[in-house]
Amino acid sequence: MKMVTWILRILSTATFAYMAYLVYLALDESSAWGWSAPYDFVVTVFHLLSLLAFFLSVLIMNGLTAAIFGGQLPDQTIAWLYNTLVLKFWNLQPYGVDGPISDVNLVFESFQMDLIGVMLSLWDNTFSFLFFLLAGLGVALFLQSLVRMDHKFSGGAFLSIQSILIIGAFRGLTVPNFTIFPTDITTFLTSSPQILALVSFAYLEFSYQMIYSHSVGKPVEDREETLKTQLLALRQATRKQDAIERGEKVRTTAMSRASGATAFSFLREAIERKMFGSTEALENLDAVSDVRRLQHFVNDLLLSNPNAREELTAKAAAPSESYVIGSTITGSAMRFLGVVAISFLMMSPALFVSMLNLPPGVEYSAELLELEFILIFLLPISLLFVFVSVIIGWFSQREEVEVVELTKEEKEAIKKRREELKKKKKAAVKSRRARKKAKKRRKTEEEHDEWDKALEDTYKR
Amino acid sequence: MITQRGFVVLFGGVLLLTSGFVFVNAYLALLGVYLIVGLVVTLPFFALAANIAGIEVDRQIDKVKVFSGDFLRVRVTIKNTSRRHFDFIEVWDRYPETWILAIGENFIASRIEPGSSMTFSYILQARMRGRYFLGPTEVIMRDRLGMHYFKRVLKEKTEVLVYPTWKDVRRLEAMGKQRQLGLMFGSHRTKTVGMGTDFAGFRQYVPGDPFRLIDWKSSAKRGDMVIKQFEMEKNIQVVCMVDSSGSMGNGYPENTKLEYAIRAAVLLTHMGMERRDLVGTCVFSDVVHSYVPPSTHPNHMYGVLESLAMVEPSGWSDYESAVEYVTRQTRKRSLFIWLTDLEESPAPLLNAMKTVVANGHKAMVISPFGPWFEVPVGQFGPVEKVLAEAVSEELWERRSKISRALARFRIAVVNVGPADFLPTIIKQYEEAKRMGVAMF
Repeated sequence: MKMVTWILRILSTATFAYMAYLVYLALDESSAWGWSAPYDFVVTVFHLLSLLAFFLSVLIMNGLTAAIFGGQLPDQTIAWLYNTLVLKFWNLQPYGVDGPISDVNLVFESFQMDLIGVMLSLWDNTFSFLFFLLAGLGVALFLQSLVRMDHKFSGGAFLSIQSILIIGAFRGLTVPNFTIFPTDITTFLTSSPQILALVSFAYLEFSYQMIYSHSVGKPVEDREETLKTQLLALRQATRKQDAIERGEKVRTTAMSRASGATAFSFLREAIERKMFGSTEALENLDAVSDVRRLQHFVNDLLLSNPNAREELTAKAAAPSESYVIGSTITGSAMRFLGVVAISFLMMSPALFVSMLNLPPGVEYSAELLELEFILIFLLPISLLFVFVSVIIGWFSQREEVEVVELTKEEKEAIKKRREELKKKKKAAVKSRRARKKAKKRRKTEEEHDEWDKALEDTYKR
Repeated sequence: MITQRGFVVLFGGVLLLTSGFVFVNAYLALLGVYLIVGLVVTLPFFALAANIAGIEVDRQIDKVKVFSGDFLRVRVTIKNTSRRHFDFIEVWDRYPETWILAIGENFIASRIEPGSSMTFSYILQARMRGRYFLGPTEVIMRDRLGMHYFKRVLKEKTEVLVYPTWKDVRRLEAMGKQRQLGLMFGSHRTKTVGMGTDFAGFRQYVPGDPFRLIDWKSSAKRGDMVIKQFEMEKNIQVVCMVDSSGSMGNGYPENTKLEYAIRAAVLLTHMGMERRDLVGTCVFSDVVHSYVPPSTHPNHMYGVLESLAMVEPSGWSDYESAVEYVTRQTRKRSLFIWLTDLEESPAPLLNAMKTVVANGHKAMVISPFGPWFEVPVGQFGPVEKVLAEAVSEELWERRSKISRALARFRIAVVNVGPADFLPTIIKQYEEAKRMGVAMF
C-alpha cells in the first residue's frame, strides 16, 4: 500500500501547489501580496504599543506629581525635569514623537492624533499580514498532512488557502468570480473560477484518498512492527534475567524506553511492579516466571503452528494494491462527475426553470439571478440524499438486529443454578430455625451449657 | 452517521456558501456547493453498500479453562458473507479489563472483498480467577473518504473459566526440585526427611520380599539376609473450609483475604494429593456454595479448582450451616481447617466448633487479620493513622477473646497476614501429618 499512498501523496501535493498558485495569481492582480506586509504589520503593532506605553507613563507620572503638589499640575520646571529624566531615557521612541515634549497638554494632543493614524494603518496592514499568515499556515498544515496523515491537517490546509479568498472578497479585492453564471456547461467547465474550484475540490479528494490508502494498509504494517518489537523485548528481558541469575552485571539501560520495549504492556507492567529487571527480581519468582512462560508459550506457538506468525501480524489481511488503485480511480471519477454535474444544475437553474414551466414573471425575475437562489435547490436536494440513505439504512439495519439467544442447555443451566441457590438458601433458613428451637429447648432442660459458659467466661474477663 | 471529518467538510461548505452570499461571489458559493454535494452525494451509495449484517466474526481460543496468570491465544476471523466489498472496516475484539494483552493487538483495520475473510490473533494473559467473557466485537465500517460510518457490536461472547492461580504450586515444586538437586542444602533446620521414609528397623528376609528392600551391608555383617523396614505412611483427611462472606473480599483486588484463602486451599489440595492424603474443600457464606468431598481421584483437583474459580465474596458467614452440611457428608475423622476472618459474632462460631468436636473431628482456624490486607498504614494521614490503629487494636482484642475461648477446646487460631498465609498453611499441614491428626 506504500506505493499507492506515495502516488496519492504526489497528486495531493500537485493539486495543493496548483490551488495555492491560482490563489496567489488571483490576488496578485490586486497587488495584495506586498512582500513588506509582515514587516509593516509588526512595526505598526510596535508603534501602537509604544504609543500606549508612552501615554500611560506620562499619565502615571502626571498623576504622581499632581498628588505630591496637592492636585496641581506640575509647573514648567517639574515638567522639564520629568521630560529630561524620563523621556530622554525612553528607549522605545514613541511613534510620531521626535524629542521630549515639555508641555503635558501637548502629550495628550499628540496621543489623540497619533492613535487614530496608527489604528488606521494597523487595520490596513492586518489584512495584508493575514494573507501571509494564512498562506504560511496552509503550507504548514499541508506539510503536516503528508506526514501525519490526519484529515484535520488536510482540511485545515484547504480552509486556510480558501480563507485568503474570503478575506480578499471582504476587502473588495479582485477574487475569482462569475459576473454572470454560465448556462453552458462547456463555458462553465473552462472558466477560471471553476478550474480553481475543481482543483481545490480535487486537493481535498486526493488528500482524503491518500489518508484512506495509508490507514487501510498501515495497521497491518504496524502489527508486524509491533510484533517484532514485542518479541525482541521479550527475548531481551529473558536474556537479562538469565544474566542476573548467573550473577553477571547487567546494564540498566538495556531496555530503554526509547527502544519501544516499554511500550509492550506486559513487560511494562512487570517493570512498574518493580518485579523484573533487578537483582531483587530473583526473589520474585512470579514476574520472572511470567516472562519466561510467555517466551515459552510464544516459542511453542511459532514452532507448532506455521501460520501463527502470519495470524499475529494479520499479514493476509492486507488489501491488494491493484484493487485499491482501481477503486480509487473509479470512485474519484464518479464523485467528480456527480459533484460537478449536480452543482452546475443547482448553480444554473435554467434547466429546472424550463422543466417547471414557470410563469414569465418568475422566469424573468431578478431574483433568479441572485446567488441565494441556489438554496432553493441545494437544501432539498442535499436533504433528499440524506433521506434516501436513512431509508436504506433503516431497511438494512433491520438485518443487523442482534438477538442474543441462549442455547437450551445454557438456559437450563441458568435455571438449575438459580433453583439450587434458592433451595440452599431455604435449607439454610430451615436449619437455622431448627437450631434456634433446639437451643431454646436445651436452655429450659439444662441450665448451663459448657460452651455457652465458655463464651460467657471469655467475655466477662 | 456523519464522522468528525464529515462535519469539518460540512462546516467548510457552509462557511464558503455564506461567504459567497455575503460578498456576492459565485466562486465561493460554488465551492461551498461542491463541498456540501460532495458530502451527501455518496451517502445513499454507502448506505446501500455498507450492509454491516454481511460481516461475520468468529472467535476461537485454544482453551476454555485456564489458570490465572496463564496465556491464551485468541484467533479472530472476520468474514464478508455479502456480495459487496467494504472499503474500510475496523474490528475491535474486546477482552476483560483485568486481563493483559501480552502479544499482538486486539484490533485490525483493512479492506475486505466479497466472500473473503481475514484472520488475526493475539495473546492474552488471564488475570484473576472467575468466569470471564471475551467479546463483544465492535465492527466499524467507513466510506473511503471517512465521512460516513456505520457501527455494529457483535454480541457473541466466548466464555473462559479462569482457575485460581497455580503459581504457588509451581513455586513449591520449584523449591522441591532445588531441594532434590541439593541447591537448598542447609537452608532448612528440619530433621524430618519425609513421610513414609522414616527408618523403623530390620527384620529377617522372607521369600517373596522385594530384593530392593534387602540391606546388603547389614546382611553381610550378620551373615543372614535382612530387610530394611520403614514407618507406615500416615495419611490424614483434611477439610478446608473457605469462608466467602462479604468481609473476606476486602483488600486490594488480587490480595483480598478470600484470594489468599483460595490460594491456600489450592495449595493444600495439591500437597494432599501428592502425599495421598484426602483433602476436601467447602466454600460457604450464608449458604454452602460448594462442597468437594475429600478424595484422591486424579480429577479431584479440577473439581476443587472449578468450585473455587467461581467464588465471589458475598453474604455473611453461617458457620453452623456449613458444619452441619459437611459433617452430614463426611463421617471419617477429619481435620477441619477454617480459612475465615472471624468477623461474625462468636456464638455461632463456637457452636459450629462444638459440632465439629462433638463429631470426633479436629479443627483449627487460620484467620487472615483484616487490617493487614488493606491499605498499608504508611499511606495514611495522621488522623487516619490514629483511627486505623484504634480499629486494629479493637479488632485484635476481639480476636484474642475468640482465640482464648477456642483454645479451651484445643482449637488453635493462627492469625496471618498476606506474607505468611501460605507458609502457615504448609506448616500446619506438615504439623498435622507429623502428629498424625485425623488419620484414616
